[in-house]
Amino acid sequence: MEFPQSFRDHLLRSSGLTVFLLLWELAPRLEWIDPDFLPAFSTVMVEVCELFQEGALQIHLLVSIWRGVTGLLLALALGLPLGLVLGRYYRDLAETINPLLRVLSQVNPFTLLPVFILFFGIGETAKVAVVAWVCLWPVLFYTITASREVPLILVKTAVSMGASSEEMLLKVIVPAALPTIFVGIRIAACLTFYILVAAEMLGAGAGLGWLVHNSAMNYQIPRIYAGAAFIILLGFLLSRFLRYLERGLFPWQFEAMFQLSGEPAQLAWRPRKAASIAFACTVLVALVIGGFQVDKINRASAQGGHTGHHGHQTMAEDAPGGPAAGGHGSMHHGGTSVPSKGRGSDLDMSDMTMEEEH
Amino acid sequence: MKSLIVKRIIAVGIALSAWELLPRLGIIDPLFIPPLSQVVVTINGLLESGELPTHTLISLQRAFSGLTAAVLVGIPLGLLLGGWFPRLQQGVEPLMELFAQANPVILAHIIIFFLGIGEGAKIFIIGWLCIWPITFSTIAGIRDVEAQLVKAARSFGLGRGSLFFRIVLPAAAPAIFTGLRLSAGYAFIMLIASEMMGASSGLGWLVVQSQESYHVQRIFAGAVVITALAVITDLLLKLLERRTVIWTNTGELDICDTHEPKRVNLYQEEAP
Amino acid sequence: MGTVADNYKDAASADAKIVVRDINWVFHLKRTRTEPARDFIALEDINLEVKKGEFLVLVGPSGCGKSTLLDILAGLAHPTSGAVYIDGKQVSGPALDRGIVLQGYALFPWRTVRQNVEFGLEIKKVPKGERKAISDRFIKLVGLDGFADRFPHELSGGMKQRVAIARALAYDPDILLMDEPFAAVDAQTRENLQDELLRIWEETKKTIVFVTHSIEEAAFLGDRVAVLTANPGTLREIVKIDLPRPRTNSDIRSSAEFGWVRHKIWELLQNHQPEVRGAIDSRPVADAISPSAEL
Repeated sequence: MEFPQSFRDHLLRSSGLTVFLLLWELAPRLEWIDPDFLPAFSTVMVEVCELFQEGALQIHLLVSIWRGVTGLLLALALGLPLGLVLGRYYRDLAETINPLLRVLSQVNPFTLLPVFILFFGIGETAKVAVVAWVCLWPVLFYTITASREVPLILVKTAVSMGASSEEMLLKVIVPAALPTIFVGIRIAACLTFYILVAAEMLGAGAGLGWLVHNSAMNYQIPRIYAGAAFIILLGFLLSRFLRYLERGLFPWQFEAMFQLSGEPAQLAWRPRKAASIAFACTVLVALVIGGFQVDKINRASAQGGHTGHHGHQTMAEDAPGGPAAGGHGSMHHGGTSVPSKGRGSDLDMSDMTMEEEH
Repeated sequence: MKSLIVKRIIAVGIALSAWELLPRLGIIDPLFIPPLSQVVVTINGLLESGELPTHTLISLQRAFSGLTAAVLVGIPLGLLLGGWFPRLQQGVEPLMELFAQANPVILAHIIIFFLGIGEGAKIFIIGWLCIWPITFSTIAGIRDVEAQLVKAARSFGLGRGSLFFRIVLPAAAPAIFTGLRLSAGYAFIMLIASEMMGASSGLGWLVVQSQESYHVQRIFAGAVVITALAVITDLLLKLLERRTVIWTNTGELDICDTHEPKRVNLYQEEAP
Repeated sequence: MGTVADNYKDAASADAKIVVRDINWVFHLKRTRTEPARDFIALEDINLEVKKGEFLVLVGPSGCGKSTLLDILAGLAHPTSGAVYIDGKQVSGPALDRGIVLQGYALFPWRTVRQNVEFGLEIKKVPKGERKAISDRFIKLVGLDGFADRFPHELSGGMKQRVAIARALAYDPDILLMDEPFAAVDAQTRENLQDELLRIWEETKKTIVFVTHSIEEAAFLGDRVAVLTANPGTLREIVKIDLPRPRTNSDIRSSAEFGWVRHKIWELLQNHQPEVRGAIDSRPVADAISPSAEL
């Protein structure tokens, strides 16, 4: 990913996109493609603004974000410590169970979704669990690799100064492993987003994926594109942002050989301790509150939104063009969902398995 | 080395036994995770009834067609953009990145209007999904071919075409293979998702049907088969990669195992 | 520990800072497809003493165990037999009375220069204000005033090595162990760093054990040069360097005495006979060791 400096470069890099958008605008207007099926770019943008005004966009966005972040944090809470321990202190064990882990990581998350739904009900738990599952593997694998490959000379230097094993862990191993771990987190985040949207189409009452799906069911075509465009843009921005963050936090990863040229080049960002703690607390509080909100929205959608699904049923019957997934009728059982897992600061896995929905 | 394989086999054995025993003993709710034997029996049943082979073939066919289409379009595209038209590549890259974000299930809702819900639509969606990792890694592979290598080849007087096929392409091959493996993985994951949503056949559909009828064993049976397929595909591709791209194998130096005198082992240091 | 150790202690001279007695380091090679199992002796019967405030250089070819010897001195490795005594006490592990500077800088990339230098101080539990004062002093000592808040990736190779030296000195170890620290640096920078190191040594009066494979460097830097030979690793001879101090690169290297000293060391390195022991065949044992094995 380059950051070109000159204006000409910018122009060049945006040329493809510009051409595409132009085509998107013209093709429906000039009737090259049926505008009912492919509304012009401007129409879609108007629809996005409308959604924004309605508040629908924000709500669904927040729901999706909540699910994604919660799932990711769960995966981190499990994967990071496990990965560090396996990579550093139980290497043989890690080698032995490696094939098992690899196979587990290839279990299709969408096959897990029905299992979780049958077990946890249609509430948030199932979706967050799927997200957590998907995130866990990249985080775990990258953490194991990262903690295993801390450069020997760094360890040696710290040992020679008589560092205790605690100090070694906190002051050397974790910081040294952090850049690679971050790559795992980045991959997990992008994967999450991808899969979450799909999962929301399969079994949810709210969220960006649901928005697109629901619009399709109700034949609100500009809305489909609006939702889709928004999702795509969001995913793109997320991936860009994470790479940007990576570059700022760990700049030494990206320079092969650096000679001092007078100008201070990319310094590594170091957030102040107080600020990061405050940030972390805010995030946790937001998640807890968000959990309750999302649960409310989901229930409201499940009960009040029956029209949506009724619409779907008729669709399946008279419009042969609509996706005829027989499964959708069943995604709904009883509307009561499992209370969301927004309690406590550390949402741990043991909570998940206990709740049952019958 | 040998002891590692033995240990791994034991680990697998323990895992499988746990899968069998824990649900049976009620430690894990058997309605959540059925014991291994039940799943195996279900798989067997599905095999015999012919459902499993049928749906597996259907899914594989879709995945394979999509992947092939992606490879046939993506690799040449990547080669062209990476090797011949770098300016074009720069212009198109942001657009491609955006396209790569387009989730197949999102696309499905849009493609419906143009291609309906038939096989064509599915293959298109899978193909779309796979094409981007392949193209990107092809471009990256070509870009990263060491300039030195090209220089050295040029000094032999190789023409552009020859240079391309005999030097650049093999040098970019490892990266291309990685992209291929990545797409295959994604393809399979998303295929199941799309089959769960808008299909009346295929393994994904089978799983979703089982969910309707609360048939947990069937869901697991389907999940196991799907996972097995994914694992096998990945292994096959790795094998293929190793056969064609052998020079990237770092190889093992098994010259000697040293038992050194006791080193201070406060921390698990790696032997160099 | 016991009577044997006391004997050694007493036998050592009064101003010996480090006493190395009968160090042996043996690799047990497992049976391979082509060779039977056997022992590879990396260090054999090493005996030497380092005086307080002395600059001792260990020089020898690759694979002669000098880095291993330094590891043993640092307490990072236990020898097969023999012991090392520092100030009369046997070395049993790493400690803050020794500082080590390794090839390849080993700077923590996530810490600034100042934070790197303060690492040992943090382990020593020195309070924050004092830490800053001390790190300021040593950053200045190595000539990096003004770069305290830079990150290692912003510095050149020579500067990075200076940070490594400052870090090793900051927590005030009595002994500085340096394992080919200037090997990764280009020739010009290396000569600068050598001058700097001597200046720092004269200012701080530490005992330094310096490992190198460069004869020039050994002759230039050391008070005494211990010549080690490989196969098995033995201490061949210790050459006293009578060149006057302070030595700067410009005058000394062109003098006749320097040439003579250098030649002597070179000679010592050439004329060794690989000692063949027991029933091992005459093929050099080093062939069986993978080139990447670190001794």
